[in-house]
Amino acid sequence: MTSFTLIEKIIRNRADVSDSEIYPNNIVWVNLDLVTARDYAGPQVIDLFQKNYTGSKTFNNEKIIFTPDCYPYGNDPKHAKDQEKIRVFAKKHDIKLTDLGSGIGSHLLFRRGFSKSGDIVIGADSHYNILGALGILGQGAGDVMLAFAMKTGKSWIKIPETVKVILKGDYNWPTTAKDLALYVLKELHDFGITGKAVEFYGKIIDKLTIEERVTLCSLITEASGVIGFVPDDKITADYYSKIGIEIEILSADEDAKYVTELVLDIQDLGQYIACPPHPHNVKKIEEVIGTPINSIVIGSCTNGSSADIHDAAKILEGHKINPNVRFGIVPATREDFVSINLNGDMAIILESGGNFFGAGCSTCAKGQYGLTGGETAVTLTTGNRNTQGKIGPADVYLASPVVAAATAIEGKIAVPKEVVKR
Amino acid sequence: MSKETLKAKAKLVIVDDVDTDQIFHQSLLTIHDPNEIKPHIFGNLEGYKSFGKEDNVGKILLVGKNFGKGSTRQQAVTGFLAHGIKAIIGESFGPIYYSNAVNSGLLLVEAPGISEFKVKDDDNLEIDIIQSVIINQDNGESIKCAKIPQPVLDIIEAGGLLKLGEIM
Repeated sequence: MTSFTLIEKIIRNRADVSDSEIYPNNIVWVNLDLVTARDYAGPQVIDLFQKNYTGSKTFNNEKIIFTPDCYPYGNDPKHAKDQEKIRVFAKKHDIKLTDLGSGIGSHLLFRRGFSKSGDIVIGADSHYNILGALGILGQGAGDVMLAFAMKTGKSWIKIPETVKVILKGDYNWPTTAKDLALYVLKELHDFGITGKAVEFYGKIIDKLTIEERVTLCSLITEASGVIGFVPDDKITADYYSKIGIEIEILSADEDAKYVTELVLDIQDLGQYIACPPHPHNVKKIEEVIGTPINSIVIGSCTNGSSADIHDAAKILEGHKINPNVRFGIVPATREDFVSINLNGDMAIILESGGNFFGAGCSTCAKGQYGLTGGETAVTLTTGNRNTQGKIGPADVYLASPVVAAATAIEGKIAVPKEVVKR
Repeated sequence: MSKETLKAKAKLVIVDDVDTDQIFHQSLLTIHDPNEIKPHIFGNLEGYKSFGKEDNVGKILLVGKNFGKGSTRQQAVTGFLAHGIKAIIGESFGPIYYSNAVNSGLLLVEAPGISEFKVKDDDNLEIDIIQSVIINQDNGESIKCAKIPQPVLDIIEAGGLLKLGEIM
């Protein structure tokens, strides 16, 4: 019997081909469980669909969702019109829409049970592969693929080789999943995982919450990888069960073929930070401690959950934001917004001088220049991209919510001075 | 494109890890008209910011590792089609960029070692698709490239993925 890695297994289950067609670098057509688009790309997908498939219905209106999440305030008339185009098309074709303020589409998919382990979903978001944290083969796709998929329910995929990554050891606060993700990004970028999938193993995985697993998987894109998977386990099954979905645990076959096996030593891992001009320019935080920072943003699909905001609130409690810093928080979803209201974190952060903005993407996808802005403001975010010139003309650093909060108090890159517990 | 070979002059942009934000910046994402996208290509890539206004019609672009990493934006492909770029040869490509290009009918060729290949701007290149080899006709040098998968050639021959959608 043929043995498969996780991604091979998921693809096999959704492709109308024999087992012998499932091998690395072969291209196969897959049947999609879900196709999504948002206010970035969505309007163009609709234009392409209507122009090329005039009068056609979608392949299945119940397997499409629009998730506008990029421009929460429809910053200008063009954005407002684009968002309207999505609403009109969704209504015409009876397609589900999670409108502005609902949150980041990729997060809504697993928070609201729109997709589950073993599914293949594509959307206009290069970080759809965070869904690998929950056994879902999520992939970002461009306008053409999405318009085609809305018509046919299919897409093609070049089956990637898989790298088995074993995380050896454990770490303690103030090191968090973001530091782990940054360290792993650095190592995997150096190793070279372009076009490859990753499976994560190691005892540490048993301790990581769903949110932490999402953070870990969220930086695979920045190493040009296809996806990182945390194989289903009890934590995954319990999570799905809570939102009313019973899953069949999906595992790689024991003798599955990996292109390589990498052991990364994370025992007593320190804190890490991505420095300009690329996400993979990851350094130990000690190398940049004391760098003045002017704007700080906690948000994004990488670190915008209520657990991330809670990490920051614990440090900010009883402290004031440095007067030289503008501090913005963009919760990932409405559900996260509700949580931080109920547990008091929102009040703590407001009293410290932080500001909240509507749930959705923060600075990565489209940039919210009012949060970073100007010509000289140096920014630190908990997001996933700091490519030079992307979200502000000046330097941008990427770090954990813990580092973001400590830095907000100091006005310069810092680690927490006092031990706080979650 | 002939099915067997593609001949064109070279244009070098040998830089590693060129992100889509360096190809077509996120502040421009509401632009979708190819002619309006065209002048902004490489507008955020140091050393190549004038590319958008240059004439590179009919050329083959040579790029480094992980070209097109980053976002899903289709404009980062559309812009090169608007420039009349025939193909892009790179050390490697971001996976989403690779599929976006193929879906739009732009041929991408993976050629590990292309960064060190003896070639300069406007040299005459030939891509032999059958033999998987790239030849610099001006100096006779050649380099192997990855075999271009048949489904990729089929999509490009069909004129892009959307055309296939009409019959699926």
